[in-house]
Amino acid sequence: MEASRRDFISLGIGLLGAAGGVAALYPLVRAMLEPSKIAALGAVVEVDISNLQPMQVRVTSWKGKTTFVIRLPEDFKADDYKLKEGALNSKGTTNYEILKGHPVFALVGICTHLGCIPLWKPQGEEASGGKPTFHCPCHGGYYTPYGDVIAGPPPRPLFIPPQKLEGNKLIIGEKGFVQELI
Amino acid sequence: MTPWGVIKTIIFGGSTLVFFFILWFYNPFKHVEHYEVDEEVKEIIENPWKKVDEKSGKTIADEGRELFIQRCAGCHSLRYDGIYVAPVQADPRWKKVEQAAGRPVYRFGVLYKDRFFVPRDVYEAFAHEVLESFKSSFGQVPPDLSTIYLARGEGYLYRFILNPNEILPGTSMPPVFAGPSAKEETAKVVAYLKSVNTPPPQEQTKRAIMGVAVILYFVIFGALFWRYREVVLRRLGYH
Amino acid sequence: MGLIQRIIDWIDERAHVRELYKSLMIDYKVPKNLTFPYVFGVFALVTFVIQIVSGMVLLLYYKPSIADAFDSATYTIMGEIPFGWLFRHIHATGANFFMAIIYLHMFTGIYYNAYKKPRELVWIVGWLIYLVLILTALSGYLLPWGQLSYWGFIVTTEIPGSLADAPIFKDFFKAIAETIVLWMKGGYVVTDITLGRVFGSHVLIYPLLLLALVGVHLYLVRAAGISNPDGIEYDKKKHPDKFVPFHPYMTLKEGAYTMWYLAIFFFFVFFHISHFLPPDNFEPANPLKTPAHIAPEWYLLAFYEVFRSIPSKFWGFVAFSALLLFLLILPVLDWSPLKSARRRPLFFVAFLAFMYGSMALTILGSMEPTPLNAKLGMIFGAVVFGFFLSLPIISFIEYGWYKAKGGKEQ
Repeated sequence: MEASRRDFISLGIGLLGAAGGVAALYPLVRAMLEPSKIAALGAVVEVDISNLQPMQVRVTSWKGKTTFVIRLPEDFKADDYKLKEGALNSKGTTNYEILKGHPVFALVGICTHLGCIPLWKPQGEEASGGKPTFHCPCHGGYYTPYGDVIAGPPPRPLFIPPQKLEGNKLIIGEKGFVQELI
Repeated sequence: MTPWGVIKTIIFGGSTLVFFFILWFYNPFKHVEHYEVDEEVKEIIENPWKKVDEKSGKTIADEGRELFIQRCAGCHSLRYDGIYVAPVQADPRWKKVEQAAGRPVYRFGVLYKDRFFVPRDVYEAFAHEVLESFKSSFGQVPPDLSTIYLARGEGYLYRFILNPNEILPGTSMPPVFAGPSAKEETAKVVAYLKSVNTPPPQEQTKRAIMGVAVILYFVIFGALFWRYREVVLRRLGYH
Repeated sequence: MGLIQRIIDWIDERAHVRELYKSLMIDYKVPKNLTFPYVFGVFALVTFVIQIVSGMVLLLYYKPSIADAFDSATYTIMGEIPFGWLFRHIHATGANFFMAIIYLHMFTGIYYNAYKKPRELVWIVGWLIYLVLILTALSGYLLPWGQLSYWGFIVTTEIPGSLADAPIFKDFFKAIAETIVLWMKGGYVVTDITLGRVFGSHVLIYPLLLLALVGVHLYLVRAAGISNPDGIEYDKKKHPDKFVPFHPYMTLKEGAYTMWYLAIFFFFVFFHISHFLPPDNFEPANPLKTPAHIAPEWYLLAFYEVFRSIPSKFWGFVAFSALLLFLLILPVLDWSPLKSARRRPLFFVAFLAFMYGSMALTILGSMEPTPLNAKLGMIFGAVVFGFFLSLPIISFIEYGWYKAKGGKEQ
């Protein structure tokens, strides 16, 4: 009787203590995880593209992410890039299929391998067959101007943010010719 | 305990309790200025989150904010709610600075997308000329009112806004509300200031429930410890 | 159970934890007749842990720069960060409770004469902890960068400057005073550099010092043994019935008390924070305007009252320092081997005078500086000084009585 009561109370102490410990962790974890909510706020970015020349890239920031705005010449040929096989975006296609016909568009400028910022090399590199390319210097990833993977470790093309063209303004973050983050 | 022990416990325990009561609850030796809000408008300040218009969901605080922008923001900023002095707000470049250097106001779990909190140094650098001109005409830069409710309390603010010279003789602040609706409008502005610094009712309730739960938890836990100790000591032969 | 048992066995084979546990918790015997005030040491330890944990969360979001300090504390922590308010409330409550508990702990130590042989080192290290704790509190007080923070800091840094008013060796004292003030402020004016070093001291240097000192303090308590409320050093071997094992006898008692202590603590955190986060400090620091009522925090008011009651700044500062020094040399002042106010009627009366004197000084310090206040401050200051200065005489008289009775019971 005596022993069982002791066990009962010690069980109660153990359970209550564990519950208290877990409950105390809740505000701690919440307070430490938070700022994600605030950081993801810069939701809509307008970029004036009237001065953007063909083959030029402008770097901006959307939702705290580096974003490239690029203008390609009207007659730009993308068909002769040799793409890495199997590296497709979340729609299961290449970026080119989504962006073709749009001379001005935005790409999230973060290498899909480990998060470095690719360099824009309009003069081309050996790995891209001498054609314009985004080259990630960290581990040697190569992308076409549309963000499709040519070579290197990236598992998928660069992300395409939702965007809309209004005259001379490209509005990143609003639904337009791209409806969602792909 | 011996009778002498009881007396000592009362002396020391009682003195300690009285001492900390004076320090932490109420100090009768310390003079505190007290200001009262007029009875007829007390209700307005009581609950700034009360809806005045069911359809649009507009609250007293929203009305107060509009009044603040019209009447107060000529000279005073309220950075914690994205209000900056009128000449700055009117500057087309300011919108870009807000977006680049600030972040949307996020307070007590509510996001205000179109209001921006801009760091003090950025704002003051941008508004330098405006603030300097205030300084030369008023003698000092009219203070930012982000936390004035916490610092002064509603009674002081109400009285001061209604009649600045009565509370602070020689102040360069003019009475901004006049006419029959002065009291009501003043109360609405104070209610707005309150809403910036005080958590809304749901949040207050949440905190109170949390507080009661935590206190109860420790009281019960302590009692359990005590009970456990008695059982263990009896088993070990102490008492 | 089997698995846990095996894990403990595995650790035990390598770290001998069972032996450690046994020697620290069970073989460690404490007097059975310890009174309630002995629990304040445990409360202090618990509060220290609370301060470290809540301080870590605040550290993540606080920005030590003049432009951002106030906003990071008042906007970011109180509004943007979920539960940021909770941790700031806890930290502010903890700071006040820490000082309160330390004072109660010190008064308990004085009452039971826990500073006498063989516990002098415990007392001296405890005194150092008290000093570092005051520095921690002062530096932490500046960080929210409100009006009280700023002006409290300015006034505090000016106090050592009082040395410059010395009646003799003027140049010498002036040079010392200027050096101290300059060192505390980090420059002639309060700048980002000042705030940066105060911040660094508060979050790293002082806590590390405290941690080390608390460790030494605890070790010394174990080495010398806990004092006995009866003032008699019982031999553990000859009087085993006067002792009980630390665990479970003390641990469970102190555990229960600690939980109830935390219940009171959290009452303040959730429902009564206005005295720990005072309204005046929600006005950002303004170097051009001093707030109407500027006084140190309550835990320094007694010293402050002594300082301001004395018309000469220099002698005020000397008195202020002397009080601190008297606390340190208590074991010397109170030289007789007799221990505990229970056995010392004269000391008991002197202690009461000392206790009420310090309380009165604290409350006077919170009031406006009037001539009457200064006079009362002088009187109660004299009472407190009288306590320390009369100790050698009290010791002498009581030791005489003790000898006359045959000097037994020791």
